[in-house]
Amino acid sequence: MSALTFELKQAPEEPLDLSALIPDRLAGMKAKDIAGLALPTLAGTASVGDYFKVTGKDAASLRFLGTTDRCDRIGAGSSEGEILVDGDAGAYLGAKFKGGTLEVTGNAAAYAGAAMSNGTIDIKGNVGERAGGLTVGEVHGMRGGRLFIGGNAGPYLAERMRRGLITVGGDAGEYAGARVVAGTILFQGKVGRNAGYGLKRGSLIFKKKPKQILPTYADCGVIEFTYLNLLERALKADGIKVRLGREAQRLMGDMAALGKGEMLILR
Amino acid sequence: MSDIKLKGVTIVDTFAEAFPMVGTRVIITAPTAKWADIAARTMTGFATSVIACGAEGGIERTLSRSETYDGRPGVSVLLFTMSQSKLQTQLRDRVGQCVLTCPGTACFAGLPPKKGLKLGHSLRFFGDGWQMSKVLNGRRFWRVPVMDGEFVCEDRTGYTRDAVGGGNLLVVAKSHAGALAACERAVKAMAPMPDIITPFPGGIVRSGSKVGSKYKGQMASTNDAYCPTLKGAVKSELPMNAEAVLEIVIDGLTPEAIAKAMGAGIKAIVDGGTRDGVLRIAAGNYGGNLGPHHFHLKEVIA
Repeated sequence: MSALTFELKQAPEEPLDLSALIPDRLAGMKAKDIAGLALPTLAGTASVGDYFKVTGKDAASLRFLGTTDRCDRIGAGSSEGEILVDGDAGAYLGAKFKGGTLEVTGNAAAYAGAAMSNGTIDIKGNVGERAGGLTVGEVHGMRGGRLFIGGNAGPYLAERMRRGLITVGGDAGEYAGARVVAGTILFQGKVGRNAGYGLKRGSLIFKKKPKQILPTYADCGVIEFTYLNLLERALKADGIKVRLGREAQRLMGDMAALGKGEMLILR
Repeated sequence: MSDIKLKGVTIVDTFAEAFPMVGTRVIITAPTAKWADIAARTMTGFATSVIACGAEGGIERTLSRSETYDGRPGVSVLLFTMSQSKLQTQLRDRVGQCVLTCPGTACFAGLPPKKGLKLGHSLRFFGDGWQMSKVLNGRRFWRVPVMDGEFVCEDRTGYTRDAVGGGNLLVVAKSHAGALAACERAVKAMAPMPDIITPFPGGIVRSGSKVGSKYKGQMASTNDAYCPTLKGAVKSELPMNAEAVLEIVIDGLTPEAIAKAMGAGIKAIVDGGTRDGVLRIAAGNYGGNLGPHHFHLKEVIA
């Protein structure tokens, strides 16, 4: 069956809420009926067909073509199937994502993968602030699954993350990994100020040594870690080829919080 | 009884009687193959028979860097007991005392770990609060700080209730040296085979036992029917020219694996023909009423 495809007719001026267009909700529906679904916008309510040309059948495999940063909440709350976004995504991409895969060829705005709990989100470009972080009213940020960011990440990446794995191919903004409860983040580029502020548990792994390290981190020296082998192989299985090496400088912190977390600065 | 002869060696028309066991596999890795081997040998050293060791265990095979989860040299170990709860205790104690303690090692599941036996799940408490849990692709690992860095241990490993213990071969020969040489060949042939171990010293046991004893409280005693020194005094199974009998005991994760190993063992023994003075190959059983698994020698070489 051909993928159920949404092709944007023209770039919308107002933000669109696309959270209804997920495999869970569209299973068994015809393209014509989907085009008739209501689509909330800031200006009021339009229909899906007003903005998108809908073709194809297989709701377990969604395609969004030509989307822009006005297309909010793509894949938000989705729990199954695969979603491919050929273009950019707006805010809340894959927020509260529960399962399946979500791939974006372009950039995503704020809150990408925020409070996600399972599945894999793979963004080739950059993400805005608070990716993998909290959404309003949540106690924890990302609490499972994998969030792969090919480009740069905005500030407050993974705030209050509870579980799961994040990789950042480019640079990350300030307060990356702030108040993380547990989980693993791999930074391949540079990080901004105050990385790991308030870290309780969890691992922040840096390919490049951060310019500034909070004084509330305790240096434990350079040690060989079998764990790095495991992580490198797990990432390879997910198509992320990165050499982590065997040794890393370990700093435990944030001693101003619980202090059971770590920074591993690769050699 | 219709015994058959292969290259001059009599294959007695009998069967090995074996019992259901609960079995598990763990993978031990280390910086070098030497240290993975040391950990595995230590863990399975005192594990010949459930009669007094609590478990039967052994090295299944060595693993290359490309076969292990962390890319280091490894060894796969099989461990068997009569119940799941005993296996849990034995696994925890043996990995805790012999692998956790061994320089540089890590320990991983050798069977799918879902709802399996606790491994790092118990041993993490050695970390006294400094242990860290890491989940990678749905598998949980514990990083426990130790004096040489970190002991990495998977949370759980799987187990099977389809395991079988007590597959065996009895090799009757004209001389001790001949029996030993033939058995060594058989053990060597079985060594690379998957899903089985030969738990006794070097894979060979010289003190085959029967159930019970004249002494109260002695669960097992010498198999007098196969003792060459008692040939004339008891109802012996041995011909007068037999001087030594050695046994190979096989435990496996599946009955099929045991049958294959027995077949390979018999083939390796008879390939030597009568050169070593092997007279016959038999198997130990208790009349067929005790164990549900019967491995007929004729069938395993078919």
